[in-house]
Amino acid sequence: GDNRNAAKTSTDLVAYKSVNDLPPPRDSMIQVDQKNEAVLLPIYGSIVPFHVATIRTVSSQQDTNRNCYVRIIFNVPGTPFNPHDSNTSKFQGAIYLKEVAFRSKDSRHISEVVQQIKTLRRQVMARESERAERAT
Amino acid sequence: MTDGHLFNNISLGGRGGSNPGQIKIFSGGISWRRQGGGKAVEVDKSDIVGVTWMKVPRTNQLGIRTKDGLNYKFTGFRDQDVTSLTSFFQNTCGITPEEKQLSVSGRNWGEVDLSGNMLTYLVGSKQAFEVSLADVSQTQLQGKNDVILEFHVDDTTGANEKDSVMEITFHVPNSNTQFVGDENRP
Repeated sequence: GDNRNAAKTSTDLVAYKSVNDLPPPRDSMIQVDQKNEAVLLPIYGSIVPFHVATIRTVSSQQDTNRNCYVRIIFNVPGTPFNPHDSNTSKFQGAIYLKEVAFRSKDSRHISEVVQQIKTLRRQVMARESERAERAT
Repeated sequence: MTDGHLFNNISLGGRGGSNPGQIKIFSGGISWRRQGGGKAVEVDKSDIVGVTWMKVPRTNQLGIRTKDGLNYKFTGFRDQDVTSLTSFFQNTCGITPEEKQLSVSGRNWGEVDLSGNMLTYLVGSKQAFEVSLADVSQTQLQGKNDVILEFHVDDTTGANEKDSVMEITFHVPNSNTQFVGDENRP
């Protein structure tokens, strides 16, 4: 049905075509690139982009030491309503990045990031399902 | 200084982000010092087994693999430095640097490559990220298909890091034949 078509388009989404298209790194901070619909994660001194359509959920929490934690869960095959499911056969043998957790001292920045990812994800998902509906 | 090259503003990448410093690349090897003192890295020429270049946003990253299986990553080289250092490594160490590419497609499916104590996650044969297993404090198998890597929490580098990675989980579908049984746990 419609869900399947939406899936197809979202797996074809590409965040960047070239390294030069990435925004300049901001000292080891998670960034959200609205224009390219990407979330940039600092992993081992590198900035790693992920398209927002690969993200399933994002959440944050704070401990008593004023440390903030953010957890990003990605879409993987075998979970319900997974947009990749229809394409799983294409990527047999692939290993998926399922989850990443970060610690931060800056709770304002973390709640901003969580908000931005959620909003962006909603926008992209709405647009993609609309596009799929029009296609049928 | 006739022997070798000196570069400022070269950062060493690691678990807790990156530290700025100065690197000297000379006939005896490589030495990097953190700005304002503290951490230093010395690699003897004879210990270098591999050199890589990778284009990263706005700059270039030099990877130095050592005999002990360590992999240092220095970021901040200009394009012209890459050219001059490539011939330097060829002439003094007899090593031709390999070129690696960074994955920018934003996908979360790919391959895991284990080499030495580095784990590389590749998307479409391009590198998405690389982590050192020396920094992994615990690995856990969750269910049948998920592998969790937990990283040491390092408070000493906390000063200049903002967001640091604590946990990475990979999902290995049943259709994957690369890792079976206990080999799932690096």
